Amino acid sequence: MLRTDEILSTIEMLHAEHLDVRAVTLALNVDDCAAPSVDLLCRKLRNKILSRASRLVEVCDRVGAKYGIPVINKRLAISPVATLLAGHGHAAAVQVAKTLDAVGSECGVDFVGGFTALVHKGITPADAVVMNSLPEVLSQTERVCSSVNVASRHAGINMDAIHQMGHIIVRIAEATADRFGFGCAKLVVFANIPEDNPFMAGAYMGPGEPEAAINIGVSGPGVVSSALKRRLSLEKNLTLGDLAEEIKITSFRVTRVGELIGREVAAELGVAFGIVDLSLAPTPTVGDSVGEILKTLGISKIGAPGSTAAVAMLNDAVKKGGLFASSSVGGLSGAFIPVCEDAALAEAVAAGHLVLEKLEAMTSVCSVGLDMILVPGDTPPETIAALIADEMAIGVINNKTTAARLIPVPGAKAGDYVQFGGLFGAAPVIAVRNSGASDQFVHFGGRIPAPLQSLGN
Amino acid sequence: MVTRFEHAYVLDVMSDDHPGIVAAVSRAIEQLGGNIDACSQTVLSGYFTLIMIVSFPEPIEPDTLAQTVSKADTTGRGYQVLVRRALPPECFVSKPECDRFVITAFGKDQPGIVRRFSEYLAGKDINIVDLYGDHSGGDFVLIGQLEVPKHWDIRMLQADLEQMGQELGFTVKLQHENVFVATNQLRLYGSSTAGHPSHASHR
Repeated sequence: MLRTDEILSTIEMLHAEHLDVRAVTLALNVDDCAAPSVDLLCRKLRNKILSRASRLVEVCDRVGAKYGIPVINKRLAISPVATLLAGHGHAAAVQVAKTLDAVGSECGVDFVGGFTALVHKGITPADAVVMNSLPEVLSQTERVCSSVNVASRHAGINMDAIHQMGHIIVRIAEATADRFGFGCAKLVVFANIPEDNPFMAGAYMGPGEPEAAINIGVSGPGVVSSALKRRLSLEKNLTLGDLAEEIKITSFRVTRVGELIGREVAAELGVAFGIVDLSLAPTPTVGDSVGEILKTLGISKIGAPGSTAAVAMLNDAVKKGGLFASSSVGGLSGAFIPVCEDAALAEAVAAGHLVLEKLEAMTSVCSVGLDMILVPGDTPPETIAALIADEMAIGVINNKTTAARLIPVPGAKAGDYVQFGGLFGAAPVIAVRNSGASDQFVHFGGRIPAPLQSLGN
Repeated sequence: MVTRFEHAYVLDVMSDDHPGIVAAVSRAIEQLGGNIDACSQTVLSGYFTLIMIVSFPEPIEPDTLAQTVSKADTTGRGYQVLVRRALPPECFVSKPECDRFVITAFGKDQPGIVRRFSEYLAGKDINIVDLYGDHSGGDFVLIGQLEVPKHWDIRMLQADLEQMGQELGFTVKLQHENVFVATNQLRLYGSSTAGHPSHASHR
């Protein structure tokens, strides 16, 4: 029998602190949809996705209602589209993207991830088709999300791919100039891309995964922030160790909820349960913010000295709680610091407290990288590539996933405020210092070799 | 219900709460040659209540048992004791297959709250297996652990209860118990009724 105090404490989490499940992502292998004719390919793709995913939204809503936990986002992630597009050209890539967009809409999901190319060691013709189609794809579709893996622990950093991505990102921004370069918000450039990430824009179904799986992203940072504030209001003389413990306990609880819902959704859909991703993913809603947690931890100006240590502690405590709660932890599983999507971080950038270099330092101890960063529209492609290269180096050397989601806002300069709306939020354009000073480094091209696996200091 | 001896009784003791009640009651049962087969106690606002299943090798008059337990009180404050013969298991109505849910309701106290919710649940053949209600920070808090027949559409029950809550100025939620297990306990959820068998007599 449950105890009354247990029921009351859960009720407080659910209703006062808005515990939710952030994302239920159905990952689906679509390799068997390959066909010599693009029309047939698209038809097979549509049929397969509808046969597996048409009940996803209804099941998520029903299971969510049963437990009183809303499932905020329902999504699809497919195996890399580059595999499907082998032997096809640019027009086919665009047609496949439009098919994914339409079928995503039919299923009622908000995004379809997996318009993906894995190019950490080299670029196949199909990968090139995918990469070069991105300006058109991301400007002409709503739901399609793309990811490109340009570096890995085992292959090193593919600087040729990064250089190309610098140019492609600028072209995507220009193609969506009427929306402040919004197309770039649907593209993530990765090092060590995880195969089972449920979060967009980087979700895709990687190699080694089953035919279909449900991957879950747990509740956002608002729950952790509220738990910390409540503990601080009840007790005096708390140390950072005590606060880390509180984060750990909260993470345990949200992870258990995520797994509970994920397993039931998977069972109802007749697919495998994949993983719970522990990531604290902020939303622009005030309070649902990693920046807010840092403030609660005593960093009054986010970006001040101590910010990196605070993020490191948060990230580690979240993992410890989550790993005890579930044996199926995967994906990115860290604290995200996407500037645009986090009101407190955006505010810190606007106030000049948080600069690009400090953000980069913070990404070395958390997930997932330079995420939703608005840069001036005149930032040269080589500088964008160099920013990506720096972030990839952090991932490759530290054996972790890192990513860059950079948005050069056409016509905007540092300090201009951009509003995307919805989940994508708003933020000022951040200053990129020494812009244009990395050209020669990027033009060398080639591959930065894979790092040592030992002597790891 | 498994009992040590053949002749089983339900024993109910109420008293103001103080140390020694369980010791006195159990001593009396032992002196009569009986065995305590199951027991559960609750203390609410300073009052104690105890329910026991006790069994004896020979039949005993319920009144005799009640009087013996009553006299076991050495404090002079007095126990109120109620005894009845336990029914054989076949007398309990067989229940439909159920899922465990928790209802929580918060709002300004007024007469009729428990009646309104419990009448609704009774009308749907939903069994209350545990009930708690108390004042908390100016509100009345009602928590019920329920056995809900599987044939009900939970979203319909939720909508009805929320609607009733709105009329009474109460926030009402009906949620599967596994969410409370998942967030508070280390045990695995999934086998929702395993480990704590329910009794129709709790209704």
